Amino acid sequence: MRLLHSLFTSRLWSLILKEIRQILKNRQIIFLLLFPPTIQLLVFGLALDPEVTHLSLGVVDYSNSPASRDLVATLVANDVFQVQTYQPKVTELGQQVRRGQVSTGLVIPPDFADDLGAGKVAEIQVLIDGVDANTAGIASGYMQQTVTHYGQRQQRAPDVPVETAVRFLYNPGLLSSWFFVPGVIGVILTLTGSLVSSTTVIREKDVGTLEQLLMTPAQGWEILMAKIAPLFVLLMGDMLLASAIARLVFGLPFRGNYLLLLAMSGVYIFVCIGIGILLATISRNQQQVILTSFFFNVPLIQLSGAIAPIESMPTFFRALSLFDPLRHYVTIARSLILKGGGLGALLPEVLLLVGFAVLFLGISIHRFRAQLN
Amino acid sequence: MKRVLSQCLKELNQFRRDRLTVALAFILPLAVLLVYGYAIRLEASNIPLSVQDFDNSSFSRTYVARLFATNQFVPTPLDSTEPTSALDRGSAKATIIIPPEFERRVKARKPVTVQALVDGTDVNNARVIQNSLRAANQFFLRSSGLLPEHARSPIQAQVRLWFNPGRHESLYIVPGIFGVILWVFPSILSSIALVREKEQGTIVQAYASDLSSAEWLLGKELAYLIIGLGEAFVVIVVAMLLFGVRLQGDPTPLLLGLILYLSAAVAFGLLVGARTGNQTGAVQGTAIAGFLTALLLSGFIYRLENIPFPLSLVSNVIPARHFIQITRDAFVRGTGWAGIWYAPLAIAVIGGSFFWAATRILHRMQFPD
Repeated sequence: MRLLHSLFTSRLWSLILKEIRQILKNRQIIFLLLFPPTIQLLVFGLALDPEVTHLSLGVVDYSNSPASRDLVATLVANDVFQVQTYQPKVTELGQQVRRGQVSTGLVIPPDFADDLGAGKVAEIQVLIDGVDANTAGIASGYMQQTVTHYGQRQQRAPDVPVETAVRFLYNPGLLSSWFFVPGVIGVILTLTGSLVSSTTVIREKDVGTLEQLLMTPAQGWEILMAKIAPLFVLLMGDMLLASAIARLVFGLPFRGNYLLLLAMSGVYIFVCIGIGILLATISRNQQQVILTSFFFNVPLIQLSGAIAPIESMPTFFRALSLFDPLRHYVTIARSLILKGGGLGALLPEVLLLVGFAVLFLGISIHRFRAQLN
Repeated sequence: MKRVLSQCLKELNQFRRDRLTVALAFILPLAVLLVYGYAIRLEASNIPLSVQDFDNSSFSRTYVARLFATNQFVPTPLDSTEPTSALDRGSAKATIIIPPEFERRVKARKPVTVQALVDGTDVNNARVIQNSLRAANQFFLRSSGLLPEHARSPIQAQVRLWFNPGRHESLYIVPGIFGVILWVFPSILSSIALVREKEQGTIVQAYASDLSSAEWLLGKELAYLIIGLGEAFVVIVVAMLLFGVRLQGDPTPLLLGLILYLSAAVAFGLLVGARTGNQTGAVQGTAIAGFLTALLLSGFIYRLENIPFPLSLVSNVIPARHFIQITRDAFVRGTGWAGIWYAPLAIAVIGGSFFWAATRILHRMQFPD
């Protein structure tokens, strides 16, 4: 009780109250905390979809037989391909692929049905627009599989002796939003956290009120603590908002311990505040803060695996990503939200994240105090 | 015209004097090019795969060897007898379970199922892993003579990949990066320039002079278009050297598209600058709106067709979407005007309306009713 009393009458508390009042008065910060995170979460979750469906297919059917029509019907059966045009000639189909009007072309030769009937190998030609390498790879794999399957069925072949039964864990419906949303929560905390904290510090520097604070008997650490505490609470609010959207709009399962997720988000928020204050100490005005934050945030986000997988990066960038705190937070968030992992499986990431929080806060507090004196 | 030119020269002089901004204007785009160009690879290689082999026969070991012979997988140990343990910890992306009596059943010509547990978190790679596991399975069957001759498929599909036969992902990603960089940076610079005049009050001098708001803006537009062209030159040359992208075919659509696109970006920056009061707000607005839309609604990462309905309408008015089609055509496809004649047109219309809106706002600020 006495402890609580001494907290509420302390200098730190009145500084915190001053900061809260300042933030609440600044409508821009409230806007920054609410609007961009919501939009980012919704757009990322809805617009980024790697699914390969309804690829436009152009067909040149020289055979024009029941067998060739059956092949086309099999190809479009589960919506990976969708017939867009039938062309009379290969040259016209080629023209359309070249202009990007169809992404896949299928040419069935005139003797297709005869060859099949005679038990010979019938060849068909497939042209795939390879500009989008990723989609082209999946489309070509799917095309090969379907054609092989179709051929085997025509022969009434016996069952294949060894089959692979693939089961997808954690995200059985393969919903892309389940992959992106936990990562984007990390991205949002990074962008908003570093921005809001650097703006509050730099404004004081810009306007010159920092000198006034220095005239008061308040210590350097008290000034900084009073700045960090309300930001921390507000960013935790952002985290709650983001997880509410994740749960209600995208139906993410949140299989792990939610309190652990909140605790780890708290640790990560400290990392972001540390980065923000660091940015504010190395720049002279708001414009520079925003330009330098590009330097930090673009690699931080890109190397974190939030958008593109880490395994496919070149070795150097994979090694570099180990120094990216966001990478560890995204791993933790995905595991807790999708996999239902516990603290045991995540111990290395958790320890690293705490280490980063101590490191960044330490450096930024040190630099801030050095500038105060 | 002369007044526009002198306004443009004044603007360029001012830009040149701010050393830090000049440095950032050219270094930041390169930094983004490097990070995006090297770090965005959608298709996984080096997929960590663990194997639980209950059979442990020479046959099952051949099966495993075939899997790793595809060069797509890296062996990872299971840490316990629980098959999902490595997946749970994230140290493996897939686990293969070979059932006991695998060899005996195959030799007795009884069907066997090999179970594959795949981490579905990363949706795109889950599909890639599924495809390669199935292909490796087929490869195993064929190479160990398990597929009887009459069960071979009677149809052979000759698949040819056009434009990018080696499936280099950089050919897809790098032209897209041009779209992102050449939108974000020119627009940030021009919005800062406009807001700075408002904050420092120098805009009043322009009000008092006999320059019309359109002439004043046109001067700025021209100056930042020149700076943007400089950025574009640096970024494209470095990308050609590092990532091996080359111009294919007719360069005129790219040239015209580039000029129109940069003008649209600068006009967008001026529009945001005219609307917002302070620098932070301006940069915030241009950076967030520009980055988000150019990254997510332009088909930069995944196919445009996958954007769902209300957002897909929005993507039509995103200039980056049209410009990326131009760059992909210029650097990969090489079709020229016949394939993309509409894209420069769309950019011109969108950019023109940004500029028109900016002049309207400035005009109203100058002569409030």
